[in-house]
Amino acid sequence: MKLSPALLYLFMLISPWVVAEESLSDLDLDLDSLMAMDVQVTSAMKRTQSAFETASSIYVLTKEQITRSGVTSVPEALKMVPGLAVRQLDNNQWAISSRGVASRFSSKLLVMIDGQSLYTPEFAAVYWETLNVPLYDIERIEIIRGQGGLLWGSNATNGVINIITKNSIDTRGLYADVSSGSQLNVDTNLRYGGDIGNNGSFRVYGHVKDGQTSDKGIKMAPADFTEQQSAGVRFDFTPNDQWSGLIQGDITQSTLGQNFNGVVDSSNRNISFTGSLDRTDARIMARLENRISPSANQMLQTSWLKQSGEQTYIQEEFESFDLDYQINFLYQDLQFDWGLNYRYNAISFAQSTFIQSGGGFDNLQQYGTLAQAQYNVIADKLDFIVGVKVDHNDLTGWESQPLARLVWKPQNNQVVWLSVSKSVLVPSLLMFNDNYIIDGQRVEEVSPITTGIPEIDRYYIRTYLNGNNKVKSEKSVSYEMGYRLSDTTWALDLSVYHTDTDNVAVIEIDPNIDQFIPVFTMLQAGQIDAAVQALTTTSINFNLVSNAGLTTEGGDVVLSWQPVDNFTAEVGYSYNTFNYDLVDNTFPAIGYDSTSRQLFTKADIHFFEQHNIFASLRVENSDAYRTDNYTALDITWNWAFQPNWAFAIMGKNLFAGTHLEYGNHGETYTQSTFIDESVTFKITAKF
Amino acid sequence: MLTIKRILFGSLITLLLSISQGAIAVEKEYALKAGFLFNFARYGEWNNHANTASSFTLCSPDNSFISVSRSILKGRKVNNLPIENVEVSLTETNLAQCNILFITTDTLESWQQLNNKYLADVMIVGETDNFIEQGGHIRFFLSGGKIRFEVSPDKLKLSGITMSSKVLRLGRVVNN
Repeated sequence: MKLSPALLYLFMLISPWVVAEESLSDLDLDLDSLMAMDVQVTSAMKRTQSAFETASSIYVLTKEQITRSGVTSVPEALKMVPGLAVRQLDNNQWAISSRGVASRFSSKLLVMIDGQSLYTPEFAAVYWETLNVPLYDIERIEIIRGQGGLLWGSNATNGVINIITKNSIDTRGLYADVSSGSQLNVDTNLRYGGDIGNNGSFRVYGHVKDGQTSDKGIKMAPADFTEQQSAGVRFDFTPNDQWSGLIQGDITQSTLGQNFNGVVDSSNRNISFTGSLDRTDARIMARLENRISPSANQMLQTSWLKQSGEQTYIQEEFESFDLDYQINFLYQDLQFDWGLNYRYNAISFAQSTFIQSGGGFDNLQQYGTLAQAQYNVIADKLDFIVGVKVDHNDLTGWESQPLARLVWKPQNNQVVWLSVSKSVLVPSLLMFNDNYIIDGQRVEEVSPITTGIPEIDRYYIRTYLNGNNKVKSEKSVSYEMGYRLSDTTWALDLSVYHTDTDNVAVIEIDPNIDQFIPVFTMLQAGQIDAAVQALTTTSINFNLVSNAGLTTEGGDVVLSWQPVDNFTAEVGYSYNTFNYDLVDNTFPAIGYDSTSRQLFTKADIHFFEQHNIFASLRVENSDAYRTDNYTALDITWNWAFQPNWAFAIMGKNLFAGTHLEYGNHGETYTQSTFIDESVTFKITAKF
Repeated sequence: MLTIKRILFGSLITLLLSISQGAIAVEKEYALKAGFLFNFARYGEWNNHANTASSFTLCSPDNSFISVSRSILKGRKVNNLPIENVEVSLTETNLAQCNILFITTDTLESWQQLNNKYLADVMIVGETDNFIEQGGHIRFFLSGGKIRFEVSPDKLKLSGITMSSKVLRLGRVVNN
């Protein structure tokens, strides 16, 4: 995309607002906001310093939005983010992405909890359904749309979601809540936190959820019940002002019902099953932070993740160990960030009826370094940023991801940013290593000649989706531009982007015509039974090849308004197009040419001291998911009827009725269900 | 690209050897701490506060802190009284005018030399280790890069000051 000079001039002209104060004098002196601010001028590891001045398309979901909206899970909270495609498959499973088509098994999105990556290299995805983070202890969720995530990690082509939980010093005391409603038998949380001497603090928490199935399925009665138990702990230590550390861990055990498809017999056709998925997800991480000076800090983080899943035809084990080091410092006009990272993944995927692992990878290692320098060209006006991330992985070797950015502040309350970056998506092991048996192809669909004999023409040939080690990493170059304006009562955040991706993995059909010659010979000899028998030994291969181009472009605009302290409103609009450039005889593996539009409105009203209403309305207009467009309203009324007690009623998916959010069943073996309207009641206690 | 890399890595080594305390960085920490002190003033109750007072006085022996707090708290009021930021030398007569006294790391030594650390009606706040044991009421510390504080409501009470539970809840209460 060409960034037209006319557009730039337009931005330069929009500056009638003059606020000539020094930024520190504008400091919000409210105690809560002071407690949320970092003393460092350098950005802390894997966190943004100032969303306003960040040169990427960022949205911050605040703890107030998360608690007041009445959401009960992280993916549900992400529905509130303009520009994120959040599609619910059933009561447990989700497909989430930004700047692309969301798929359950390929999101190209990096998801982290306090900097710990949850990316599964097997699928390039995240198991949202078993991700347990107590929502009441989330500090904020930072969402970067697009490939702005150099400092955050690899495989963040489409975006970064960083869930930042509260320091345990801020969660001392008892918290308990119980919810129940039309889709939920019970969801209950308990947390207790306290001090450890004068230098530390802790919290322990537990969560139990028992959810019902949806009301309406597509082909089969829904089976998407939820039984989930979690427990976790976090310790924070601050021996002195120079050093601080944290250790946290979580274990979640889930049994989730689902309907799914698989080819398990000689019919070579997808058969629908009802089953359940048992998963145990455990994670632990430790971080040591050192403040070298007020303008320099360094951090060492190590984490371990273990996920095991068992369902009728798939057994998987995944372990990941991460080690990250980062140093950030400011020297005169130059801010410098430098980091090292190492990741070890152990993957075990049992051979099953319809999945075969061919490549022999049972572990993957990745190591690399990143460096980013931000130079203040004109004091408080213009910053220039260059950076590069270089790393090595076992599948495609060395990869480098450079970027260059410009941040211009024409006024103190306005920012214009430009960014050019290259990002790399390493293929998932599924694309590299595995073969899947998929829904069979009919002879008449693939053969150039039809025989007129129904037993032959309508025979379903065994069909494989084959990964292979010639799959390359996808390389994207992204041009982004944004403008932010912040006035006393309202703020505007606008960003546009254009991304070109090469080496996109698509599917090439190999019908292997030669294998049918004996069949035709038998037919000519009149041996129909023998011919049908011979067909059972044939197969068609769908091979992954890295030869497509993909262009995505669009933009997001968010306007927020706070005329008075107790009322906030937000309107957002997002537009994304997704276009493949395919060579002959290939078709897309993930998504297809499509356009998605979203319109958001949110309102948060606090009244009569104890009452709060939070409403969000989403209009989803997209041809990317084989579903109808829908409009959904989520509304929550909170009543703090006692200083320590609160009651809430949450209405979800209102207006939309029973609707389908995801219909791309070719990309997943899960069968989605219709998503229902629901009403939930909740009681919360804090002591 | 290679050239850029060489420059970046080259400058890293130079910079690591010469990390300096940026003025803006110190200013930010003091700005945030001035904000906290403003909230302590708002949520504290000085039991013997004279009704005739014409201002609320924030004192510190550290002039770099006072110049930051002067700009941060400009135009702010506590109980309708304007805030006066005063750089004081630590003598008993001088300190009598203060409502809050903030002892920074750089001025700890002069605090330690002060003989009588009991100051009636003065909230004494510090930022160094063991400051409460050394006669203070509240001590700032950092946790995960953010400012938090320890507070001794008992010691505040001895000086005739009550702190609101809203603030106590956010801090770490120490009683000794």
